[in-house]
Amino acid sequence: MLRSIALTVRLPAIDLTVRERILEATYACVARYGLAKTTIDDVARAARLSRATVYRTFPGGRDQLLREAITWETGRFFGRLAEAVAGAGDLAGLLEEALVFAHRAVEEHEVLQKILQTEPELLLPQLTVDSPRVLLFIAGFLLPYLERERDRLRPGLDLQEASEHLARMLLSFISAQGRWDLTDKAQVARLVETELLAGIT
Amino acid sequence: MAVVDMREPRTRSPEERVVDGALRCFARWGVGKTTLDDIAAAAGCSRATVYRLFPGGKERVLQAVVRHEVARFFAGLATRLAGIDDLEDLLVAGIAYTGRELSDHAALQFLLAYEPELILPRISFRHMDHVLALVSDAVAPFLAPHVGTDEAPRVAEWLVRVVVSYTLAPSTAFDVRDEASVRRLVRAFVLPGLVQPVTA
Repeated sequence: MLRSIALTVRLPAIDLTVRERILEATYACVARYGLAKTTIDDVARAARLSRATVYRTFPGGRDQLLREAITWETGRFFGRLAEAVAGAGDLAGLLEEALVFAHRAVEEHEVLQKILQTEPELLLPQLTVDSPRVLLFIAGFLLPYLERERDRLRPGLDLQEASEHLARMLLSFISAQGRWDLTDKAQVARLVETELLAGIT
Repeated sequence: MAVVDMREPRTRSPEERVVDGALRCFARWGVGKTTLDDIAAAAGCSRATVYRLFPGGKERVLQAVVRHEVARFFAGLATRLAGIDDLEDLLVAGIAYTGRELSDHAALQFLLAYEPELILPRISFRHMDHVLALVSDAVAPFLAPHVGTDEAPRVAEWLVRVVVSYTLAPSTAFDVRDEASVRRLVRAFVLPGLVQPVTA
């Protein structure tokens, strides 16, 4: 359920399935040809729709389509992350699972890794534009877990601030592990305890 | 601190004038639209002089500007932190100084807004690992007296993450340019991870 709340682009009364079909096709084209070489014709063909339909759904044309396809896949990525960790027992366990899962998912995301190698300058500006929304999404996901464990958290803790701060730390470690090895569960547990939950528990 | 040049500028060399001029141009027009003629005019020298000093042209000037600004930043940080003995005060001063330097840096902000493709690939994903390592090595010596030399690089990297996040995606909860706000942030989410809790 969570996946569509914060990250999907808000749309007027356009057929959602057509829109999804176009975004899905765009993603497939980008995976094959890259961001610079994907054209509206490629997307229309892959979606088995007319150019006119693609333009009607994305009046901003290729630029809008690529921007929204990046935002859409970012939303799916964090939706998968939310689903993967939703069953965790407690807050610390949730954060540990989230770091391990997300780090691996970034490393194994073939399209992301390919674009980061070949055309990072076309991808990263949009990821940066999307990052406040991603932070809101992660914070919104974490907040109920903080509320559930309120009794075990530092007295007087502002849960809104805490969920936002945790979201920032998570996103920072997901995009760059730095001196930590996020495939090592013992290290991840120590990281969560020392740098994520500082001041929270 | 090997990467940081801490020398005080004595007299401004021709190189420094070119770097200064280029920085002003980048802040006004960005990198793409700045020409060597613009840089020469801003530096008060000829285009030939710029070429002689920086044979690679604009790309070399840009590299020199980045080096110069990084060195200036760390020299300023050292000055700002000199004589501060209390850990909380040190963290507040360091984070707020960094927050202001980044947020108020005209050229950096111009590039982030209008030419993000020039900057973001150098500070994202794997490249961010290098940035984190370089910056935290430079910051660690300030922290070592408080947290020990073994922990200092780790703590430094953690602080860099905090500053970068709150600077690049500003928060309504904490303003990293403002010392009172940073003190609240430090007390809420940083110091508790550094000070051993009193055991009951």
